[in-house]
Formats: sequence, structure tokens, C-alpha cells
Amino acid sequence: MFPKKSPKVTIDYTKCGEKGQVDPRECAKCLKVCDPAIFILHESPNMPIDPVDPKYWRITPVWLSLCNMCMKCVKVCPLGAISVSR
Amino acid sequence: MNAKNYSNELAEAINAREYLQEQWKAFEMVYIRRIMGITSIDLGYKLQLPIIGRLLRWSAERMIHSEGKHRNPVRADGHFGQVIPLEEAKIILGNLAAEPIIENYCMCRWMQRGIKEACCINFGLLSGVIEKLPRFIPKDTKYRLDRDEAIAHIEEHNKKGYVATVWFQPVPYINAICSCENPECGGLRLRNDFGLHTVYKGEYVAEVDPDRCQACGICVTKCQFGVLRLVQSLKRVIVDINKCFGCGVCRHACKYDAIKLAPRDNYPALRGVY
Repeated sequence: MFPKKSPKVTIDYTKCGEKGQVDPRECAKCLKVCDPAIFILHESPNMPIDPVDPKYWRITPVWLSLCNMCMKCVKVCPLGAISVSR
Repeated sequence: MNAKNYSNELAEAINAREYLQEQWKAFEMVYIRRIMGITSIDLGYKLQLPIIGRLLRWSAERMIHSEGKHRNPVRADGHFGQVIPLEEAKIILGNLAAEPIIENYCMCRWMQRGIKEACCINFGLLSGVIEKLPRFIPKDTKYRLDRDEAIAHIEEHNKKGYVATVWFQPVPYINAICSCENPECGGLRLRNDFGLHTVYKGEYVAEVDPDRCQACGICVTKCQFGVLRLVQSLKRVIVDINKCFGCGVCRHACKYDAIKLAPRDNYPALRGVY
């Protein structure tokens, strides 16, 4: 009756994102390694938004149903911030 | 190809400036923010849910095609496009597109891959809106183009393998020709992976001339939609016209001039199927 659950992809925002050590715009390794391109880079909704030139960015896994759990993003992340589970 | 749909008068009449400003200043948030209480996160699962999934699909299609008066820019009401072959893109840029014409960084490739590539050609009112947003404006290259430069650029992108698409923003105002790639393009993503009609197929389909085709298979590598297949037993390439978007990108790769575009209407089964 219910569709198959998508894999869970989580990013630890204490390591990556507006509070992390690395600017996701500079790194973006997970975005490039993912064949189905399930990640989205966007301005952080938790910070005051600069409508002209946003300074704080983070990455959110959005298209979870397309994730094949290949784990390439987990391996490529220099901060070990990504985890993938069922 | 209605010149009215490109005009500044139409843009003013439908308040396009405010719409585009709101839409573009936080475009990367379109899949993250709640739209009627629901985000696009794990959209594939949500669309497959019984009843809720159908409702969601119905309301998403309604949003994409909204022609109403009070359209909400942050959910991209009335924003959809169509695939066009290079020839038509040239006609639009050469004659119909309102000035100024700019070429800015593709926002889809930026948000889905973190790559800045100047390949989106925007015109009319939208140019002025994007010019105020520094993250979309190429730094070291000329981004304001005249008509001939715009035509040269779209030809270059098309030959590289990017699909030309023309966009309403919001319908019926036309102000962009993009050079899209699957799956990075937000529109092609929603169409191909989730079946939403954010991008319509073009008016044509690819046809392979069996006498000319030399079975080199190079065209197969260019197709973004998995339409072409090299069949060894026939020694030629076959076309799955049900999947073909009619972008014509495969033609540029063929050394033997074996692929041409035929009107979609030539095939009774495809008439009206976009």
C-alpha cells in the first residue's frame, strides 16, 4: 500500500554548512560525485537572509528516492559529515 | 512564436518585474521551502503515496501552469518551458527576444552541482532583475550580449550537447533560453524523474536515415534522454520516438548527415503528446 521508503541521507550541519569549518560552495564535492544529483546547495534558512548576495550556505539532500546508496558521498566528504542509511 | 509574448508591455501588464525579483533572489530555496506546508524533500516518495500523492501531483501541475492573477513567485507559479531545436532558438534570439540580452550562470547547475557555467540566456525584463544579483553574473567575461553574440553562444552550447529550452516566467511572458543538461536541470529533473510537466517536449522528433547511418554510434553518446540505440544486427541507430524531446542535439554529432528532425505531428501516435 505504501511506497518503498527512500534511503536516509543526513548531513551533520555542525561540520558542514553555515556553522561548519568549510564553505559548502567551495567544497561541493558531494554534489559533483553524486550521479543522480540528489543534493541541493542553497542559502541557509537559519541565518538572516541577504536577498542580494547570500553569505551562508548549506547542502540538503532533496531527491532521496533517487539515492542508490552507493556511498560515494560518504567517502568523498572531507569532514565525514554525510551518513546514509535505510 | 508570438512576438507579443516577448514584449515589455506584456511584462508590465502582468507585473512580471515584482514576480521575477521575488523568484530570483532566493531561487535556490525553491525545493527547500514549504509550499502549502510541503517541501520537495523526498518528493519521489511523497508523489507515490496513495491519495496524498495524487493530490500533490494535481496541485503541483496546477501551480506550474497557473495563469491566475495572484501568482506566487516563491513557488514558481506559471513557470514552465519547452524544448526547442537550435534553429528556433536562433530565430527567437535574432528577432523576438526583448533587449537587453544577458548570459548568466545557470542556476540549476549551481544549486545541483555547485558549478558556475554561463549558459543561460535571459532577456527583456529578467535581464535587469538578474543583473542585480552578483552570484549569477559572470565576473571575467562579457555577459551582456548583442543578438549575433547570443546566437553564436546558443549554437556553441547546443553543439556541446546541451538542450535548448525556452521558458515562460510567468506564462505567457517568455524571457529565457536555457542550455539544459539532464539531470542537473531543475525542469528536466521534475519531468523525467517525477513526471511533472515542467518541460514540454519539442515540436519535432529525431529520424535516422537508414541508408546514411554508418553505425558509428557517436550520436548515442549525445542524447540526454536515452532515446538512441545502436543496433548491431541492423548496423544502424534506432530512435525511441516516445521518449524523444526533439532537441536535435544528436544531429550535430553525426558526420554522415543521417539524422534529421521530423514534425511530431507526422506520427499519429505522437500527435498532441508533449
